[in-house]
Amino acid sequence: MSKSFAVLPCNGLDKGAGCISREIALHLIEKSDSEMICPVLYRVADARYTKIAQEKPLLVIDGCQTRCASKLASEKGLKVTAKLTVTEEAKNRGVDLGDSLRLGQNEVKLAEMVADELLLEKEPEKASESETASDSEIVYPETYDYEVYKKDKFIFRVPKEGFLFNENDSWAYISGNKARVGVTDYVQQSLSDIMFFTPPVVGSEVEQFGELGAIESGKAVFEVVSPVSGRITAVNEELSVAPELINQNPYEKGWIVEVELTDLESDKELLLEFEGYFKILKRKVDDFHV
Amino acid sequence: MSINMVKIGVVSCSGEDCLGGTISRLVTRKMLEIRSDATVTICLPLFLAGGVEERGFAEKFPTISVDGCSKACAKRATEKYSGKVSAAIDVSDFIGKEVAEAGALSSRNLTDEHKAMVEKVVGEITTRFDEVLRAAQRDQVAKVAKGLAMVGNGPSGGCGCGCGPK
Repeated sequence: MSKSFAVLPCNGLDKGAGCISREIALHLIEKSDSEMICPVLYRVADARYTKIAQEKPLLVIDGCQTRCASKLASEKGLKVTAKLTVTEEAKNRGVDLGDSLRLGQNEVKLAEMVADELLLEKEPEKASESETASDSEIVYPETYDYEVYKKDKFIFRVPKEGFLFNENDSWAYISGNKARVGVTDYVQQSLSDIMFFTPPVVGSEVEQFGELGAIESGKAVFEVVSPVSGRITAVNEELSVAPELINQNPYEKGWIVEVELTDLESDKELLLEFEGYFKILKRKVDDFHV
Repeated sequence: MSINMVKIGVVSCSGEDCLGGTISRLVTRKMLEIRSDATVTICLPLFLAGGVEERGFAEKFPTISVDGCSKACAKRATEKYSGKVSAAIDVSDFIGKEVAEAGALSSRNLTDEHKAMVEKVVGEITTRFDEVLRAAQRDQVAKVAKGLAMVGNGPSGGCGCGCGPK
């Protein structure tokens, strides 16, 4: 357990999840050389905490979807290395968080488990890197040829070749046994300015139509619906610090994850090529987009 | 409109820099238990992140800040964004500056000594709380007479997402 972080927990005081974020941070400090950033004091002690955040990988722990810690990291322009939300961690582990601010056995155990996993996480990633060394040779094009549909001042691009889409406005660009995945222009235009990106866990399995993290703007939260099934091998880390890349171009620098495919042939039965998706996009834009 | 609907906002410092902060969090939580009908805790990180309902509550209702040390983050933030606090508690005044400035602690690691510190501060804050509450209730009676009463709907200031603090 040699990893250490600069830990920025939300430290919420009004919900158990906020208290658990603090507890996770305290566990990390007890078990490693991690240092905690107080989200309140950080607003007045800028230099001290900015230095800590620059010296160690920054871990942001939000209690709930209000995401106060993420917002603070974003306001301060910090590079976020890892991010988690307690309510989501609890859900993924089947832990029912009560209303009490007093942490019970389950909550304490959850905090300990999450902290231990964070400290151990690097090992499987390393193994995975060596296993898939040949995969790193995949080079994705930097730009694509687009068909454009315009509505009022809004422009909706759809790449013409090499992409498969689902009706949930996600795409997959297939290359060998891997796919790069993201959302379409329809999503980014509908959400408007994207402010937050919650990545899925690298190494985890995803089913077709399963969730691949979430993106959030001032208008709404959008859960990315996976067009393919497989194992997540990479997350676009740039989005943690610059989620607006999705607005700029969701097919190029705004891609979301890479997935090692497990059942592409079967997945394809429920996916659309350019022509099919372009028709759906136009209908959606005409019907719903204002 | 009942004077029992008067609420007092308790704003604790976040408590990550020192033991005093840990104590201030515990004291604030305790107020929810011993003055449950009149206590609304205000989540300071959310308040600072611009939580409209938190700030709105602190503007409208009396507040008590509970700080772990003399940096007084809770008091300063409340007064910067929502107005003067009705009472301010600095935990280090009760447990000693040196002790208050020791490292933050998980509630898993609380000793009997720490628990005694919490009880000591709770005793003080309860006294102050009751004074502020009585004053607010007197104001309420006066305002009711003028038709300008303040009313709290529940134990929460509430955050932007609607889930609401307690």
